[in-house]
Formats: sequence, structure tokens, C-alpha cells
Amino acid sequence: MQKMLKMMTGCLVLAVLAVSPAWGVCLLWVRETTGSTAGIPWFGLWCISVTGLFIVLLPIGIAARGTLARLHDYIESPDARSGTIPGGPFWLRPVLRTFVHAVEQFRRRERDLRNQHRDLEIQHHVASAERRQIEAVLGVMSEAVIVTNAFDEIVLANQAAGRLFGFDPDAAHRIPIEQLVNDESLRSIVQETKSEGNFVECRHLEHRIEGLSDREGDSGPDCDISLACVSDHRDQLSAVVTIIRDRTREREISQMKSEFVSKASHELRTPLASVRAYVEMLVDGEAEDEASRDEFYRIIQSETERLTRLVDNMLNISRIESGIVHVDRDNVDMGEVVRQAMATIEPHARDKDITVHRTIAPVDLHVLGDRDMLSQVVVNLLSNAVKYTPQGGRITLKIDSDNLARSIHVSVADTGLGIPPQDQERIFEKFFRIENYKRVAEGTGLGLNLCRHIVETVHRGSIGLDSSLGMGSRFWFSIPMGCEESLAA
Amino acid sequence: MTHRILVIDDESHILHVLSLKLGKAGYEVLTAVDGEEGLHMARDCRPDLVITDIQMPYMTGIELSRELAADESTASIPVIILTARGYALSSEDLQARNVCEVLSKPFSPRSLIELVSNTLAADDERSAAA
Repeated sequence: MQKMLKMMTGCLVLAVLAVSPAWGVCLLWVRETTGSTAGIPWFGLWCISVTGLFIVLLPIGIAARGTLARLHDYIESPDARSGTIPGGPFWLRPVLRTFVHAVEQFRRRERDLRNQHRDLEIQHHVASAERRQIEAVLGVMSEAVIVTNAFDEIVLANQAAGRLFGFDPDAAHRIPIEQLVNDESLRSIVQETKSEGNFVECRHLEHRIEGLSDREGDSGPDCDISLACVSDHRDQLSAVVTIIRDRTREREISQMKSEFVSKASHELRTPLASVRAYVEMLVDGEAEDEASRDEFYRIIQSETERLTRLVDNMLNISRIESGIVHVDRDNVDMGEVVRQAMATIEPHARDKDITVHRTIAPVDLHVLGDRDMLSQVVVNLLSNAVKYTPQGGRITLKIDSDNLARSIHVSVADTGLGIPPQDQERIFEKFFRIENYKRVAEGTGLGLNLCRHIVETVHRGSIGLDSSLGMGSRFWFSIPMGCEESLAA
Repeated sequence: MTHRILVIDDESHILHVLSLKLGKAGYEVLTAVDGEEGLHMARDCRPDLVITDIQMPYMTGIELSRELAADESTASIPVIILTARGYALSSEDLQARNVCEVLSKPFSPRSLIELVSNTLAADDERSAAA
């Protein structure tokens, strides 16, 4: 019934709506045909028209407002997601249907856009993470890496490239390579690679870097260069990757190894030559008497001992350098180590009429270290002092603690030959021996190098010397009381 | 005629064994412990042959042979070099320094005596021809 009433009201309103303008049109027609408008109730007609319009527009407005409110509720309601058309006046149904379809379309479009946006965000995050990873990898690489685009602009360069060519890699983005890389021939190589556009195979070549600002007058480093072209999704060249590996250090190490092998070979061959010669003499029966034979045997023994010392020292140094030496760390009383070393050396000193003084400070002289290794250092220094101190000389051994530096300080001073200033820096090098002193005493040229390794590498201490030519030498070393774990441990 | 041989080495055992071996082989042996001393002795004593180590204090065996070759009075003395380390010298360089042989340590004294004998014989022949 209520619905019927609503329908009737609607019909009435529509009728008024239709009739009101029709009246106006009729009156206009009457005026045109009769030529007179007298007697026409203009004011009444106007009122009727306005009232009619008001009567028509008011329910439309009310209905539209209600419908809009319902649509608003509908958009937020679950019905919208299911596409159910909301209730409303029948005459608004087509509009509502269209509206609902439009809303559905918008919602679908919005969903798609949101998905696309989310995908793009994920891709952006992934790309950023990948770029950071690439930059991190490039950053830790020792090789210089420069990536240039099709316009010869730098799109990526790592720290090593910045160091090599002297530019800030973070500020190099989109800067032409010619502005940052002075080496014209290297730029030509990059250009050639780009022109060739070979995406399958990398290009490898050796090249000496030129035009480095910090190497004026000096030729640049020899480098291995690898170049690769990168294609885009249309198989067009997008970038050229240039990797530059400096081989200078590699060559230095190779040269050092060669020198070590050469020196080791020389040092091993020398006592071996004596052994072979004396053995051959014995085999050939050229030792005429017992005394000669004994002398030959003694020389062979001393030379084989020299060989053994050489090999032992070489192996010890090698083990320490490679970090595979076993360190038996303990709380070591350096005072006791010094006393034992003195006891070992004193007979040799007496043979040369050398007096040995020792000053052991009455303080705690304990360190955390390897007893045997530390003992070897003290014995080596004392042994050298005896070897290179003339008859009747004097050796002074002192040991004290340095409370400020928290270390134990040991020094061995002699009244020997002293070390020339130009040789003082090299005295701890492998196989280095002062040429003029070779005749004074035998040696492997490895003892002091081993001492340095034991003190500095194994115990994180320091070793050095003070010497004046002809006035004697003072070798010293310091060991931290609580030695930290070293690499070799 | 007894040949006089100068042996120069800073290794006392090598000097000792070579002196013994060469002495037993009938040669007159002079010894020096470094290059400078060896050069002076070579100039003073005019040996028939010099046997020298390469790496020595003051003057190396190579420098010594160059000095000997450069001095007219010692230029004809043949040199045998003993080395515990390879030296990159071309045969022309060695010839220019009168170095007739480079012997690597460790060497056999027996083969050294043989080499000395051959070298001196060749030198005698050359002198006789001259």
C-alpha cells in the first residue's frame, strides 16, 4: 500500500511536471493565435509553474539525496564487492546499475593499479637491494671496475677504480669517461670493445695504465684488463664492463719468491759443496793420515749441521709466515729464560775470553708466550754477540719490565764490530749477511729474521738495534706482558 | 813446469779442499778470501789460472774477471768461476772476461781437476802457437 502511495505520488509529481510547462506552452500558443493575452492569469500561471517545478524537484532531490547516501554506504559495503545493485526508486535503477558497473570498473582498475604499484615497489626494492649488493661486491674487489653506457658515460665504478684513476666513484655517475680516465689508450680499448659489440665472449688483454696523476715521470702499473659487452632487452648494447687488475703486487711477490728460492739455493749449495768435496776426497783416499781424516769428518759434520740449521730456520720462518706454526703459549718467566740462555752461551764466550754481564731487574718478568721460541731469540742474540765480538770483549744482557708499556724489555749489548748504518735496516732480512763479516763467523743469514718473526709475528712485540761501527751493537726486543693472540697462534 | 793456480773464495772449507786437491795434483796453489785480495795477488803473482767464487766481499768474481781482462798484464789468465747461484752471462760476456768455464756448486773436485788440466793444456797450446 505504501509502495502504491509512493507510486501515485510519483505519478502526480510527473503529471504536474509535465502539465506545468504544457500550460505555459498553451498560453503562449493562445497569445500567438488570438493576438491577445488579456485575461490570462500570468501571476497564477507563474505560481502554478513554480509550484509544479518545486513539487517535482523536491522529491527528486530527496530521492537523489537518499540514493546518493545509499550509494555512499553501498560503495563502502560488502555488496559493492559482490556487485549487488543497491535498492532505490525504480526510476533510478538504470542509473544505479550503470553507477554500480562503473564503480566495479573503477574498483577493478584500482585493484589492478594497486597491484601494479605493489609490483613496481617490490621490483624497486629488489633492484635497490641488488644494486647495493653489486656495489658492496664491487667495493670490496681489489680490481678496478668501470661500467660505461652506450654514450661512454660512467654508470658504475668501484672504489678501486676511483683509487686507480683518482676520482670519487660516488660522484662519477653519468660523467663521460674521458673526464675521469686520463688513459687515452684504455678509452680506445673500451671504444673498440663497444664497437665490436661481442656479447658472447669477454676480451682479455694486458695493458700498462698511463696518465695517472700521482705517477708523474713514472710508468703506470701493468694490468690485466677484461672487457665485456652487456646487451639490453632489444639485444642492443647497453653497457661495457671494464675490469682492471693491477699485477704490480703479484709481480713483486713473484720476484720476492724467486729471490728467496735463489738465495736459499745459494745458501744450501755452499755447505753442500764442502760436504761433497770432502766426501769425495775421503772416498778417493786422499786423506793421508788419521788426523786428515778426522779433520775431513769434522768439517763434514760442521757443514751438515750448518745445512740442518739452515733448513730448520727456513722451515720455522716459513711456518710462522704462513701462520701454521704451533705456539705453546704459557706464563713464561723471562728471567729464567735469560738465565738458561746465558748458561748455554757462557762456554762459547769463555773460549773467546769474553766476559758476560747480566742485569736482571728484581721485578715480575712473566710474559704470556712460547718458552722455547723466546729462549731461541735470547740464545740467537747472545750467540751473535759472541760470534762478532773480538777476543776479550764484553757482552751485557739486561732484562727489565716497562710498566707503562706493560712489556718486558731484553737487550744484548756487545763490544763487537758494530753494524754499518746502511746495513742496519737490512740486518733482519732473510739471508742478509754483512759481506765483510762472513769471514768473522759462520751464519745462515736467517737467525735475526727468525728472531723478528718470533718477536713481532708470534708475540706482537718489537725488535731493533742500536749500533755504531767499531763500537759494538745493542740488540733489544720487547714482549707484551699479556700477549694477545697472534695470527700464528 | 809447475802451474800456479790462484783460488779465491770466502768459504774457508772450499779454499781448504781445493788447495789440498790441487796441491796433490801437482799444482802450486795460492789462495785469497775476497775479490780485492785476489786481484792484488793475481797482479803480483801472475798465476796461470784463476779459480774464483762469484759472490764475495768487496769484489764479485765477475768484477774480478773483468778487472783481470782489462789489465794487460793479467788479460791472458784464464778464469774458472764457481757459483752457487746462476748468473745470466752470455758466452760473449764470459769470453770477454777470459772466463773459460762456470762451475756450479756443489761440484766434484775430481772433475774440477780434470777441467783445470784441460784449461791449462789449452792455454799452453795457445801460448806455444803465439
